[in-house]
Amino acid sequence: MEKNKIGILGLGAMGKIIAEDLAKTFNGKVVYLVRDINSIKDLAKENNAEVRYADVSKPETLVKAFEGISVIVHAIHHEFNLIVMKACLKSKSNYIDLGGLYHYTKKQLRLNAQFRKTNLTAILGVGASPGITNVLAKYASRNLDKIKNIEIKIGYKDFSTYKQISPLSASYSIQTILEEFSWKPAVFENGRIKFVEPISGREKYNFPKPVGVQKPQYTIHSEIATLPYTLKAKNVSFKIAFDDDFVDKIKTLKETGFLSNNKIIIENNEFNIKETSIEILKKLKKTIPEKINQYEIIRVIVSGNKKIIMDAKISGVNETADKDTGVPPSIISQMIANGEITKKGVFPPESIIPEEYFFKELAKRSIYIYENNNRIN
Amino acid sequence: MKYDFIIFGGTGFQGKICASDLLEQGYSTLLVGRDPSMIKDLLKNPKASFLKLNLNDENKIAEAIKKSKADVVINCSEYYYNIPILKACLKTKKPCTDLGGSKKGTGEAFVLDKNFKKSGIIGITGCGSTPGISNVMTAYGIKDFDCINEIFLGFAWDSNIKKFFPPYSMNTIFEELTESPDLLENGRIVKAGPFKCSGTFNFKAVGRQTTYCMGHSEVYTYPKYFKKYGLKHLHYMAGFPEHSLKVINTLINLGFNSREPMNINGQEILPVDFTTRILKKIPIPKGYTEVENIWVRIKGMKNGKKKETKMECIVRTLKGWEYAGSNIDTGRTIAIISKMIKEGKIKEKGVYGPEAIIPQEDFFSELAKRKMYVYHNGKKIN
Repeated sequence: MEKNKIGILGLGAMGKIIAEDLAKTFNGKVVYLVRDINSIKDLAKENNAEVRYADVSKPETLVKAFEGISVIVHAIHHEFNLIVMKACLKSKSNYIDLGGLYHYTKKQLRLNAQFRKTNLTAILGVGASPGITNVLAKYASRNLDKIKNIEIKIGYKDFSTYKQISPLSASYSIQTILEEFSWKPAVFENGRIKFVEPISGREKYNFPKPVGVQKPQYTIHSEIATLPYTLKAKNVSFKIAFDDDFVDKIKTLKETGFLSNNKIIIENNEFNIKETSIEILKKLKKTIPEKINQYEIIRVIVSGNKKIIMDAKISGVNETADKDTGVPPSIISQMIANGEITKKGVFPPESIIPEEYFFKELAKRSIYIYENNNRIN
Repeated sequence: MKYDFIIFGGTGFQGKICASDLLEQGYSTLLVGRDPSMIKDLLKNPKASFLKLNLNDENKIAEAIKKSKADVVINCSEYYYNIPILKACLKTKKPCTDLGGSKKGTGEAFVLDKNFKKSGIIGITGCGSTPGISNVMTAYGIKDFDCINEIFLGFAWDSNIKKFFPPYSMNTIFEELTESPDLLENGRIVKAGPFKCSGTFNFKAVGRQTTYCMGHSEVYTYPKYFKKYGLKHLHYMAGFPEHSLKVINTLINLGFNSREPMNINGQEILPVDFTTRILKKIPIPKGYTEVENIWVRIKGMKNGKKKETKMECIVRTLKGWEYAGSNIDTGRTIAIISKMIKEGKIKEKGVYGPEAIIPQEDFFSELAKRKMYVYHNGKKIN
């Protein structure tokens, strides 16, 4: 086992941001774990990374691919989280991912004893949200005697100009977004989990400038699977804003049956409805930016005996605001590889990530943290 | 067994409506299609039978017609089967009706005119609501004029519950709304961009609605019959309620109408086929009713004076036909015209558009029996 070897599983949009940050900031070796080796050869050459074949749909390929890698950054879709974690247990690699959309996270936490026993660390959800959100909540909670509410709200504003714009421009995986729009969001209310209607709770909220007024809505997210218990809050909610046109389009697909998990038989062939819809959406023309200028605000309001508003502000000028999801896994994987995180077991970010160190690293990447409007990193 | 009618596309939406109308009158029908589960209820009627057939083979179509011994062939299938079915009718010397088609299909149908005449049979193309009722209303309205400058026509519709339910064949709708429509301008066929040509009008039953130009067979048949009146401008314009148009536009915008084959887990599929199947699963909302306004506005001269005539046909969801909404005006209209042929009320031979040969009063009277009312300048005439 080489302590200083980090593997990125999946070099999609997020995997590429992680790869770029590791290339700039990590002294050790990086391995790209992909299904199509040729597709990533040039990037690997440019970043001096090793490339290995790994296919999550064939779990037997993972253990071999993970061999000798200290930390696996799982940047493929969350439905594979458990498969990848189990492969890590076999290859004796530490594990981090980008979140488990509540339900997967719950299942993943059950592997705690196995990771502890195998002397390994797994941290679940270390992107922007979950990830930065959890650490912000933890930071604020240190100054409160008792926590009543944790409200997470994500706002985004795009001032970019585009050469070509997709009819369904999404800042992250369309599959994840469709799940977020069709699965019932979990809300922790008065000490109990309840599930509300998807796309509900959509109301105007004024984020700090330049994001301004947005309409965040309840969304299924993994913060709700951990924060109520780790920080002992009475109420925890998660809301994210999408623009009206985007919401209208997804709502139309949902209401007309295109996001159903059922199957349909056409000319004797069986098709999963949602999967087929996603494949149709993947054929849409891609967005090609001309000049990127995006802003994102991750706001976590923690209140109890007092109220603390934590903001992470991401301005993406000439780089996309998505870096707030791609950068944290690079930071955290390095912290594990370098021995700065040593606890063993399966953890949510708020239980294991040293807040100040993490914020300092975010600041190096122009992601700034504010406590009640005062910058703290 | 000998059938009165053979209906191609018999398991589809319009075929089912047409068959219900004919069965209700005691006629026997052979329903030709792919999936008999769509017409389970109809097949309980002893005068209805089902035949499974792929319409891509003209010889097999002819064989089916021959076997059915039907008096009239009714084609309620998708328009791209119109020509093979017309040719099969020629082979078997059986009169036939269809629901109309594209520019190419309409042109090709008229090419067969001589052969139909020679064989002593009739083929009428465009026998639904529009083309169909619209054409006969135009022929009626045109009698008010010595010469015509402009005909605008089309449909507008709305529903009591503002929830999306496919108004008619989604395949057709996607094509109509995405292809650049042909218009007649100054006596010449020209193209307009999709959604580039529109007009907002007041309709008797629907109220104010914006309509958009679309390709429709009337644009190709009217010049043939009404050129002698000096017709210069002809626009076919369709209106959809906002809640329906929004869904249709979103699906088009997101590529769900694409005809480019895709491979899903090793199986090929056309997005548009997937989409139409999914939309067919939408249940009709409880208490949902529709109203459709088929309309024609004719401008021209009479006795040296400018004149304008407005024809409208208003169709509402009928009790017992709730599943069909206002679509009864397509499936039941082709039943009316086919029955008129069977009864010898239309004697001409050749291939025609409905505006050329359908006896207007008789036809309107049949519409009225089915609660489809025709208005001439606001006055009910049937």
